[in-house]
Amino acid sequence: MATDVMMPRLSDSMEEGTVLKWIVEVGGEVKRGEPLVEIETDKANMTYEADTDGVLIEVLADEGQTLPIGEVIARIGAPGEEAGGGRAEEEKESASEEPEPEPEAEEKEAEEEPEEEAEPEREREPEPARAASSDGGGNGRVKASPVARRMAREMGLELAGISGTGPGGRIVKADIEAAAKGGGTAVKEREKEEEQAPPTSDVRPPTSGADGAKGEVRTQELTRLQRTVSRRMAESKATAPEFLLNMEIDMSGCVELRERLKEVAEPAPSFNDMVVKACASALREFPRVNGAYRDGQWELYSRINVGVAVAAQDTLIVPTIFDADQKSLGMIARDARALIGKVRDGNITPPELSGGTFTVSNLGMYGIESFSAVINPPQAAILAVGALKKKPVVDESGRIVARDMMAVTLVCDHRILYGADGAEFLARVRQLLEQPLSLAL
Amino acid sequence: MRYREALNQALREELEADERVFIMGEDIGVFQGAFKVTAGLLEEFGDKRVRDTPISENTIVGVGVGSAMAGLRPVVELMTINFALLALDQIVNHAAAIHYMFGGQAKVPLVVRMPQGGGHQLGPTHSHSLEAMFLHVPGLLVAVPSTAADAKGLLKAAIQDDNPVIFIEHEYLYGQRGEVPENGGPMRFGEAAVRREGSDVTVVGISRMAVTAERAAERLAHEHELEAEVIDPRTLRPLDLDTILESVKKTNRAVIVEEGWPHGGVGANLAALIQEQAFDYLDAPVARVTGADVPMPYSKPLEQAAFPHEEHVVQACLALFKDL
Repeated sequence: MATDVMMPRLSDSMEEGTVLKWIVEVGGEVKRGEPLVEIETDKANMTYEADTDGVLIEVLADEGQTLPIGEVIARIGAPGEEAGGGRAEEEKESASEEPEPEPEAEEKEAEEEPEEEAEPEREREPEPARAASSDGGGNGRVKASPVARRMAREMGLELAGISGTGPGGRIVKADIEAAAKGGGTAVKEREKEEEQAPPTSDVRPPTSGADGAKGEVRTQELTRLQRTVSRRMAESKATAPEFLLNMEIDMSGCVELRERLKEVAEPAPSFNDMVVKACASALREFPRVNGAYRDGQWELYSRINVGVAVAAQDTLIVPTIFDADQKSLGMIARDARALIGKVRDGNITPPELSGGTFTVSNLGMYGIESFSAVINPPQAAILAVGALKKKPVVDESGRIVARDMMAVTLVCDHRILYGADGAEFLARVRQLLEQPLSLAL
Repeated sequence: MRYREALNQALREELEADERVFIMGEDIGVFQGAFKVTAGLLEEFGDKRVRDTPISENTIVGVGVGSAMAGLRPVVELMTINFALLALDQIVNHAAAIHYMFGGQAKVPLVVRMPQGGGHQLGPTHSHSLEAMFLHVPGLLVAVPSTAADAKGLLKAAIQDDNPVIFIEHEYLYGQRGEVPENGGPMRFGEAAVRREGSDVTVVGISRMAVTAERAAERLAHEHELEAEVIDPRTLRPLDLDTILESVKKTNRAVIVEEGWPHGGVGANLAALIQEQAFDYLDAPVARVTGADVPMPYSKPLEQAAFPHEEHVVQACLALFKDL
């Protein structure tokens, strides 16, 4: 019996994957735990290991082909097993229809007497006695079958834009498949006689013969990663009711600390590393900031994993510093360097990109003083960090002094964080950064 | 070989193989059984091992329970499933529960054989299909063979099993012919048969309805270009749910066909299991084709209308694809 190899889910947000290279050829031996195929996910290229022993008897996804997770990409079987092998056809029996003469009946009650095997009548149309499926009266909810809903969710398709060909206009699996291919509605051959609904998902802008007012248009396909970013950012803005909290933090203490650390540590922690460390310590005290609003519930996470937004070629990647609250500033600095290096080299792996519970985004190196960021869903908040700038500040004795000021903006999801929650958290972050010795502990 | 002959062969082989096996029931000896399943056995094995009884169903099963506890392997025949209702105390309160109640110290290797089914104008009291009623009871195994080969293989397995087995035959099936393997041994309980492979809809047929489902599948293929996968579970407890789920995950649609009533039926139960375990694979509601929710009519046309035929199955399958 062959085992199906399915397109694996190699990252949290992965919905489909592209087969890059089959490491084992058809007919080759497969060993559990050894590399089988290279797969490009929405985040990175991964080597996928076989989870069973056997022989690769069939490859269903060619190199370069993209399939949703859960689709069969290959089969592993015993040596000599045939490809596409299903269950052997059950042997059919030639059940005869002709009634046989019953052995003679004796004086038994007529009703207990076996009659000739009656053949069901066919001349009349019997009333079907089946339980009818209910016709969900139109209450605005899109009618779609469970499998269609699941596939639409996995492919990121909007059900509302797809027209259903099932009973009562229900969107069925075939409609999703057709929509995914970009062809309008699904019309199976056997349903040819049904009138075709106008295609709805095949939207094309009208083309004006000559170049329009914007000049020649060059369309550019998004990479998988860019698609993921655009989808998740739109999802965040569409679903999270956000509010912003601004604050200026006096980083003079951090500047001083860094100068001293430079003499003893390599690499010396950056200001961003200090922000990460301060956030991680504060998150331990404010569990809801380290949580998520999901399906009408708050999820609070026991681990504090801070994502650090990193710009990479034409896209945005957020590697995760796991258990940042338990790591020293030096360890955070080393982790961050290593992760950023991997992002720039393109060999970061999905596990290093997932599991974040809070995000820090820093544009200070570009001279941006203050900005807002989009929450990385389903996280509760993101901290946007600006550049350090010397500014005149009135000190405790009333004198105007120059201090290294840094503006930060905490963007919060109001479904889990309220104004005071965010403010208290931010105040704690400031406290830690303004008296940074505790960060060095 | 006919279904009844396959049963007869299984009884003969088990009587020969194990002297603890004996059979008992109304008219099974001299008369050779109301449906001739026990033909020739009295002559061959004598009246100690092939015993005629009075009309006393609760007692017949009670003797079976007692002798099974004492170490024999009784196979009792109830003339039809309709009369099993008189023996429910022995079946439900005793046969099913004894192994549990005595902490495994006693076992009840009893087989209760009986045919079910309508279609012979025997009216409301003698046309029942009651597999759901026995499926309901923990402690009982339930077999519903639909072919001669399964009848033989499953009856041998039932006799060799240490659990009480409700073995439900079908009046219509007794005369049906089918290939039976020479020297075939016992089959395993809990292994469904895929009677026909298909990619569009899974049709599960219970007892005789496995035959109806298979014929309906041929019509769906020829007249409607739909390929139905037909599954005969063969035993309802244990149930081979894996094979059914695997098929539903492939076809995304399921239709369950049974002769019994709809409420609390085998199909109701199976529909619940399918939606619990394969919800995200369903492309349509799980459909049922069942006997009508009425006492069985005596009138021939009404009776024919009150249990499923191919046409009902075909229509139920088509309704999963489009508005009819």
